[in-house]
Amino acid sequence: MSVTSLSRRHLARLLGASAAALPFLSGGNALAQARGNTLVIGLDISDTITFDPVRQAQYTPPMTLAACYDSLMTLEANDLINPKPSLATAWARTPDGNGWRFTLRRDVRFASDATLTAEDVKFSFDRILGMQEQTQQYIKAVDRVEVVDAHTVDFILNSPNAPVLPIFCNPGCGITEKAVLMRQGATFGPGAKDTDRATEWLNNNSAGTGPYRLGRWERNGQIQLLRNPNYWGTAPAFERVIIRHLSDSAAQLLAVRRGDVHAAFNLIPEQMATLRSDPNVRVERLPSLDFVYMAVTQNPAANPVLAKKEARHAIGHAIDYDGILNNLLGGVALRPAHFLPIGVNGSTEQIARQVGFSQNLDRSRQLLQQAGVPDGFEMEIAYGNAAVAGISYQVLGQKLQADLGRVGIRVRLNPMDQVNIRTVYTQGREAGGVLTFWNPPAVCNDLWASAVVERVARRVHWTVPPEVTALVKQASEEQDLDTAASLWVEWQRRMVDEAHHFILFQPIYQIAVRNSLRDFPLTAAGWQLEMAHIKPA
Amino acid sequence: MPRYIATRLLSAIAMALLASLVVFLISALVPGDPVLAQMGDIAASNPATVLEWRAKWGLDLPLWERYGIFLRGLVHGDLGISIATRRPVLDDIVQYAPATVELATIAFLMAIGIGIPLGIAAAVWRDSWVDSAARAISLLGVSAPTFWLAFIMLAIFYGWLGWAPGPGRIDPIAFPPDGATGLFLLDTAMAGDWEAWWDAAAHLVLPATVLAAATIGLITRTTRAAMLDSLGQDYVRVARAKGLRARVVVLRHALPNALVPVVTLGGLAYANLLAGAVMTETVFSWPGLGRYTFRSAAALDFPAIMGITLVVSATYLMVNLLVDLSYAALDPRVRR
Repeated sequence: MSVTSLSRRHLARLLGASAAALPFLSGGNALAQARGNTLVIGLDISDTITFDPVRQAQYTPPMTLAACYDSLMTLEANDLINPKPSLATAWARTPDGNGWRFTLRRDVRFASDATLTAEDVKFSFDRILGMQEQTQQYIKAVDRVEVVDAHTVDFILNSPNAPVLPIFCNPGCGITEKAVLMRQGATFGPGAKDTDRATEWLNNNSAGTGPYRLGRWERNGQIQLLRNPNYWGTAPAFERVIIRHLSDSAAQLLAVRRGDVHAAFNLIPEQMATLRSDPNVRVERLPSLDFVYMAVTQNPAANPVLAKKEARHAIGHAIDYDGILNNLLGGVALRPAHFLPIGVNGSTEQIARQVGFSQNLDRSRQLLQQAGVPDGFEMEIAYGNAAVAGISYQVLGQKLQADLGRVGIRVRLNPMDQVNIRTVYTQGREAGGVLTFWNPPAVCNDLWASAVVERVARRVHWTVPPEVTALVKQASEEQDLDTAASLWVEWQRRMVDEAHHFILFQPIYQIAVRNSLRDFPLTAAGWQLEMAHIKPA
Repeated sequence: MPRYIATRLLSAIAMALLASLVVFLISALVPGDPVLAQMGDIAASNPATVLEWRAKWGLDLPLWERYGIFLRGLVHGDLGISIATRRPVLDDIVQYAPATVELATIAFLMAIGIGIPLGIAAAVWRDSWVDSAARAISLLGVSAPTFWLAFIMLAIFYGWLGWAPGPGRIDPIAFPPDGATGLFLLDTAMAGDWEAWWDAAAHLVLPATVLAAATIGLITRTTRAAMLDSLGQDYVRVARAKGLRARVVVLRHALPNALVPVVTLGGLAYANLLAGAVMTETVFSWPGLGRYTFRSAAALDFPAIMGITLVVSATYLMVNLLVDLSYAALDPRVRR
């Protein structure tokens, strides 16, 4: 049969040709030449919905925003307590003591070449206040902004000692160029949230003074940053930065090993372990201010035993915190005592050890007896079907189930989808404990502590005693840092005693970085990476 | 024929609306609150803000009224605003659809380009090594989980051998082409940028192969079975008895009759490829509708879910219509 032999030959040729073509699939010459001056970062950016600094409330966009926009002040990675100069070179109380006066850096130019003035600062904050998005909530202590002269601006506060300075460091408070944004439909003042039209433009451009400007954003694709030729600081080493969306951690691992990305941000611990033998890749650690905790309700209708403080204390003493840190997380995590992550004023590892719960099974059993349930009790722990810092809530729930089971607390695990768990917890409808996550919008103790006494307390049906609320206010407004630290320790002690929140760990994220980069400065200040200070080897 | 097409189109619209109604009712019955899930922590704790947001998405209205608003918007080409991305659902779909259409189309072409010849060969040389190979390929394609296959392909051809480019639609440092269609192959070809075309084509090879794998298996098996049936028919025996060359007997006489079930399967397979690329898109970081669908469903983003349902339903129905029309081209008896 002639058809047979001919077709078989054709088939073989086709297969051979296909296989032979594969090695030639990789990119062309022009791309190879462009690699030298381009930094490529592998990151899951699927949470990004905007690059308008005012509207942003997600996890990954601050990295880009911090590269495009400077704030008045900044925080250095090794000191998250004392703000350092950025666009403002100095600050002091206003003459009437009702706010802060900032002196602006001279000769700072926007990416458009226009010079920064106090009008731009006023416009930026007026827009934040008018838009009433999440960023406005952080600075609700700001009553108004007044221009003193072209390089001086006053922030008048409605509560003169409100802790606004560290909040001004976050990229959401980045300074934008008034003239450009007004041309793009920006508005400010009351009603701005309905009339402002600049967001669409800001999603593909930027109007800041930062080391880079936003060149383009492909949703779920990539973010392109271009060096700002007018940057007032030391020019960044790379002409372009591409933040490449790689949603899957295994793909990130392959990409960093192959050299297609310089750094991979979302690898899980098991993948990190495979990099130990790779001479071209190192692992950098990014201490975060995030933490994972279990909130426990005291609503007697949900679980009458949990309404007793002794029972909740018994939970606190039954959990094997070191096991979670060392066995589940491989030691790359910390554990604060309460809602103040280690690294901020009044929260250190030593304080956490002194103030926080530690595992003591005998004490736990005694407390159960005092609560009137010597044989233990039954409770539910709900969690979302998700993972955080490379560990799934499911595994964490099982660990807690085993730990609490050792003192007779019988845990019923209740996995839910993320929307349901958020709904249940936000509305305070949990039946027992809820495993969840917290990450800060800005580095400010007040934002964490206020969250507890104003919002999180309601979710666990705890009526906050007035003296606890007063303690938060006092500590937040205390101007002396040492005194403030003591007050924060006292606050944590009170909160641990209430036993509604059991902080399980504060992750230290691991980032895979190719050795072709010499400096890769990470920061826990909220934007993860100091893009301008990355240096090639 | 025009009357037949018009009737089918009308029924397609009705079916799409019915599908959207079912999805609407299901998403309304799920206990979670999509608005709370998307709000910042401070806003979510403020009852007034929550009410304002709920009103913005019509969640404070009775169910029937909400569906009425959806239908009214639909008439004006408005699918509503996504709760998660906060922009028009239509804009989202228009943005993400080209990546999926391109991937699914290439995967489909691979599937029919490999599956049909392989099926024919397996039937012609039944029980030979070709048939065994075709069976093995089909089995692997149909049974290998997409997620696993994607990892394996990526690890071998990108991570280990370095023969294929990594995830994404283009090289990490390349600018996406500025084209009207969003189909990179088409846009770069129209711009005459052949280096970018090659880059985009290279990035399609692995994900398209993974996506096509199951369909290749199905088409191969269906083609083989249909061809075996045709090759056993009297008219084929007559053609052979008349001394026609084997190639003519197979390709001109047996194949057209065997293609009817293959076309039916192919149509459904194409619609499946368009709607079912979630896993492939995840592993290959492909910015398409699959990922958008998954994220919308996970966030209970009901305007987005409704919009996607409508698009997917319409796609299935249109493909079915085209399949029905293609019968007439393949089989003269249908035309009568």
